[in-house]
Amino acid sequence: MIRQTGAAAVKTFNLAIVVTVFSVNAMAAAGKPAHRPAPASPPQQAAQATPAPALVTLGQELDREMPILSKATPAAYFIGYTLTSSQRAEVMGSNGALLASEENRSRWLETQVRVGSYDLDNTHKVGNSAPGQGSFGVAVPVEDDPGVLRRAMWLQTEKQYRAASEALIKISTSREVQAQTVEEHAPDFSREQPHVFYGPEISVNPDRKPWEVKVRLYTRAFRASPQILNSIVTFSSLGENQYHVTSEGTRLQFGQVHYRLELFIQGKAPDGMDINRYYNFDWTNPADAPDDKAVLAQGQVLRKELEALVAAPLVEPYAGPALLTGRATAVFFHEVFGHRAEGFRQKDINEGQTFARKVGEQILPSFLSIYDDPTAKTIGKNMLLGYYPFDDEGTPAERVTLVDKGVLRNFEMSRQPLTGFPRSNGHGRRQIGAQPVSRQGNLIVQSSRAVTNAELRVKLVEEIKRQGKSFGLMIDDIAGGFTFTGRGQPQAFQVQPLVVYKVYTDGRPDELVRGVDIVGTPLVSLTKILATGDTMEIFNGYCGAESGSVPVAAAAPAILISEMEVQKKETSIDKPSILPSSGHDPKGARP
Amino acid sequence: MNRALNNQMKHFDSKVFPVIAILAALSMIFAAPAAAAPAKHAAAPPAAALPSASTAQPQQSVAADSDKTLAAMQDELDRSRQRLELTIAGNSEPARPYYIQYRVLDLDVHTIVAEFGALISSTSGRNRIMSVDVRVGNYNLDSSNFISDEGFSGFLGSTGTVGIDRDYDSLRQDLWLATDQSFKSAVENLSKKQAFMTRLAKAPSIPDFSPATPAVSIDPLREPDWTTRNLEQEAKTVSAVLRQFPQLHSSRVTYHLIYTTNYLLNTEGTKIRANRSLAAVEASLETESDDGMRLHNFLAVYRQRPDQLPAADAVRKDLQLAGEQLITLRVSPPAADYDGPVLFEAPAAGSLLAQMLGPSLSGARGPLAMQSSFDQLMDRLGGRSEWTGKLGTRVLPPGVSLVDDPTTKQFAGQDLLGAYAVDEEGVKGERVQIAENGTLRKLLMSRRPGPDLNMTNGHGRAMYLGDPRPLMSNLFFTSTEGQSPADLKKKFLDACKQNGNKWCIVVKEMDNPVLGVREQDDLSEIVMGAASGAASGDRLPLLVYRVNPDDGSESLMRGARLAGLTLRAMRNIAGIGTDVTPFNFTQSQQAGFSGTALAAFGSADSGVPATVIAPSLLFNDVEVHGARGEPGRLPLVPPPPLN
Repeated sequence: MIRQTGAAAVKTFNLAIVVTVFSVNAMAAAGKPAHRPAPASPPQQAAQATPAPALVTLGQELDREMPILSKATPAAYFIGYTLTSSQRAEVMGSNGALLASEENRSRWLETQVRVGSYDLDNTHKVGNSAPGQGSFGVAVPVEDDPGVLRRAMWLQTEKQYRAASEALIKISTSREVQAQTVEEHAPDFSREQPHVFYGPEISVNPDRKPWEVKVRLYTRAFRASPQILNSIVTFSSLGENQYHVTSEGTRLQFGQVHYRLELFIQGKAPDGMDINRYYNFDWTNPADAPDDKAVLAQGQVLRKELEALVAAPLVEPYAGPALLTGRATAVFFHEVFGHRAEGFRQKDINEGQTFARKVGEQILPSFLSIYDDPTAKTIGKNMLLGYYPFDDEGTPAERVTLVDKGVLRNFEMSRQPLTGFPRSNGHGRRQIGAQPVSRQGNLIVQSSRAVTNAELRVKLVEEIKRQGKSFGLMIDDIAGGFTFTGRGQPQAFQVQPLVVYKVYTDGRPDELVRGVDIVGTPLVSLTKILATGDTMEIFNGYCGAESGSVPVAAAAPAILISEMEVQKKETSIDKPSILPSSGHDPKGARP
Repeated sequence: MNRALNNQMKHFDSKVFPVIAILAALSMIFAAPAAAAPAKHAAAPPAAALPSASTAQPQQSVAADSDKTLAAMQDELDRSRQRLELTIAGNSEPARPYYIQYRVLDLDVHTIVAEFGALISSTSGRNRIMSVDVRVGNYNLDSSNFISDEGFSGFLGSTGTVGIDRDYDSLRQDLWLATDQSFKSAVENLSKKQAFMTRLAKAPSIPDFSPATPAVSIDPLREPDWTTRNLEQEAKTVSAVLRQFPQLHSSRVTYHLIYTTNYLLNTEGTKIRANRSLAAVEASLETESDDGMRLHNFLAVYRQRPDQLPAADAVRKDLQLAGEQLITLRVSPPAADYDGPVLFEAPAAGSLLAQMLGPSLSGARGPLAMQSSFDQLMDRLGGRSEWTGKLGTRVLPPGVSLVDDPTTKQFAGQDLLGAYAVDEEGVKGERVQIAENGTLRKLLMSRRPGPDLNMTNGHGRAMYLGDPRPLMSNLFFTSTEGQSPADLKKKFLDACKQNGNKWCIVVKEMDNPVLGVREQDDLSEIVMGAASGAASGDRLPLLVYRVNPDDGSESLMRGARLAGLTLRAMRNIAGIGTDVTPFNFTQSQQAGFSGTALAAFGSADSGVPATVIAPSLLFNDVEVHGARGEPGRLPLVPPPPLN
């Protein structure tokens, strides 16, 4: 799912459960890796010939460990190290005041030791039990100190090797291994060509002072609305250099920069339903930062939407035509299609919806094609957050055609092979500290049956009339399953329409409704797409799933669906506040 | 806890969190009584709805500076007190709060971590958190001290981070929402509690809340001074000394510098702005013996203010010593089983007392829980106060005096860590004579009454706005029967010979695995093992020496564990020294473990600072278990060069 706002955006929390909550959030905080700008076809282009001292040290210790552990019993056949050097800054404001302004540097070492063979190793999944692989890793010095870094590598390697050995023994003695299905009999690790690439190292040092002024200014503006109970604006910058070495010969070094500004406001409808609005700006070049005018204007849009939603009636149960704007469509495809096309899910017996046996079959209308392209940096002028030159297993990113003219062709693949899909296509991704699995990068939906967005709206009205309905739905914004709240566990594939209008056929203006829940399997809706618009819209966000939170983008045109069934969402039992806020108290703020 | 989140967790570097994560289910139950705990017993004013506005505002004055925090708190508090009400179906009178308390904690924290001379991280950050407590009912029976079957759903919203500008408007906005949440939860909690109580054969008679004299105390606004010392450089310099020990697998030296401003306001008229600070150097050193036993050592230095931290030279020497001890430990023989006299030298005795006495000093009773598992958990983690109901009986050797005194600021020229003027409930800290001539006289009290005592004596303590609980501050253990260290040693050796032992045991330092062990799995195992053994008197020593009773020669042993050191054993302490020595430590607040044996293992970023001032102690009959279990396999690859 796409998580639009970081968990950090949730200001209110229970101290009592802070421990549990933040053991999860710690990953979010330390994570957010990937998407690193570098030359478009990296392996051909040796941007900078010299490996950094950190990369040299990684190689030295690897060259000491591998000869010994590859001769041990059981033998290690693969060792990989990833060192991620991060510089991050964050400035948060809330309700007109500064909430926090911090920056830090860190280096994080991850170690992977595999024992056994490419065909059967310690990561092999038996039944429901996933053998524990890898660890969170360890913090290492932020400055180059070969002795201290190598000591950490040595300890981690030993720990990983022991865990892997124990796991392999359990696996090889398991009776279940004998009785596994075709999918489960695929090798455990794909054979890949090693890659050597030394990109330039990057550095980011934003001046936090101006942002401290800005986040106060932006959140103070929201105070004007009595309906806005809480506002949070967050500026963040992340500069990350990644160093990657493997016993197969891969040596990589590349850097990446990301700046982000997030606006988040919360309100409550009279029946207690929580209403949230969110918007994010993303950029990689400091000169592209949005100016005050642009941010305040976007803030006004959010405010108006929130105020309208607070006052809007609840939706009534409905089944009929629906139009999704491009941004909503992008999120929709990411959630209901993109996740199901992740290769590792085809292997997992717990995943109900498997595409594994549908390759070559028509699964979408023939005018739709979908590909995932992490090598794309932009569409038009918009940056794509899911760009990266190499994935987190050191495989070069590849553009993958997932659906060609409606026919399922391929999956997003990591180095965990599937029967018939023996190789990675550069989609093995993870948040720092998690094991990479196949994930999306930039999911792009293309249509050969495009009409202008204005024509698509006309077609919607025609379809409503054709079906004899009094109105249809226009969905302008969709949240992924876990958006906003930061509580509980992520639920992939869940979609929640946030901004929904009833569109009438008699010329009445569109009417905003709230509390819309999609009924049934959203995947079914994809087969009922009648036509699409002609303008690609892009959603950038952080997607949380099994391997943590990774930056992704989804791009799609608007779509017209012949039938979507919706119902009323259950409302919160948490009623609106008893008193008005002090800033909007008719009896005066002071008692 | 909150600061750890901001500064530590980004580096996965806090060692306590993973332990707690393992105990997640547990921690929820423990954490739940954030506004919940005891009940029963007589005598407490029935208290009508709310104190009048006049009592709520005594002579106080808002400080004449740019800090608008108290002003915002006061105005929102007054508005809430006067106008918050909720009509409940079937009740003619709407529910109104009888007590509202706002706490805001301003945290300014700098944490520096270095390893073998290299900087791992250096983070600093300022945060503010609030905690709102709204109570409905009255002092005898209110919405607190109750854990319903729904866990803590109702608590969400009454705490949270707030703006750091010390401004008026944003804080009022945050307090407004938190107050609303807290009030609604209180109304719901009280009705659930009343329903639950009708099912009990006998309703608890301890009141829920004790009245307290309003206190007004406004410290001047303070800006922390970060500039006087280059502590980043100091951390690197001192940690580099460990580079001379290539046998160490890992080491960490952490400088914690914590400034806080605590704000507290309640409807009884208490108004506090208190500046506090804590500075610490904590270090962990880990290695493995040649037969595969994991070993560690640690260093912990605590001071009240950052500028009081010892200079780099002194810390370097301490680290060097810690390194040498661990290297000696590495090649020392494994401990064998033993039964007989054990001498705890100060300050190991102080650490032992912190673990043994900690849970029993509290006079507050536990919350009313719908599920009995809560009580069982408290028991298992050594959280049961064995001194409940024992006032007037002898609990310690004759001649022993036990005093907890937050008003004593210094001992032997050194600032005491546990000193404070007002506690976390805004009550003036009092000197409490817990035991006199070995007889139990009083217990430490917060505003939560207990079976033996009702009134607070200013010991409601907490860190990071946790639930205030009766915790020690500066605990003085002295005896009129004290002997000089030489006499005590002689007594010990004589007992040894008399016992027919070829050798006896001296403990020079007790363990704190939270500081010493970095590997999470190991730490979880050790801490849980220690906590679950607390009830049967299992204690973890760090530096244990075998002593030859004939010539007094000493040699280190590794892997020893102590058993049978229960509170009962305290009554028969065989010898007490005169060498009273302060032992500084922090009592863990992680997930609300305060008041259990787990709490004795804290760290500067998570604990309530305290000092135990105690002499060497001789126990005549202690069980010592030698090393158990199969040793681990040694690393297949030899260590890489460190230099």
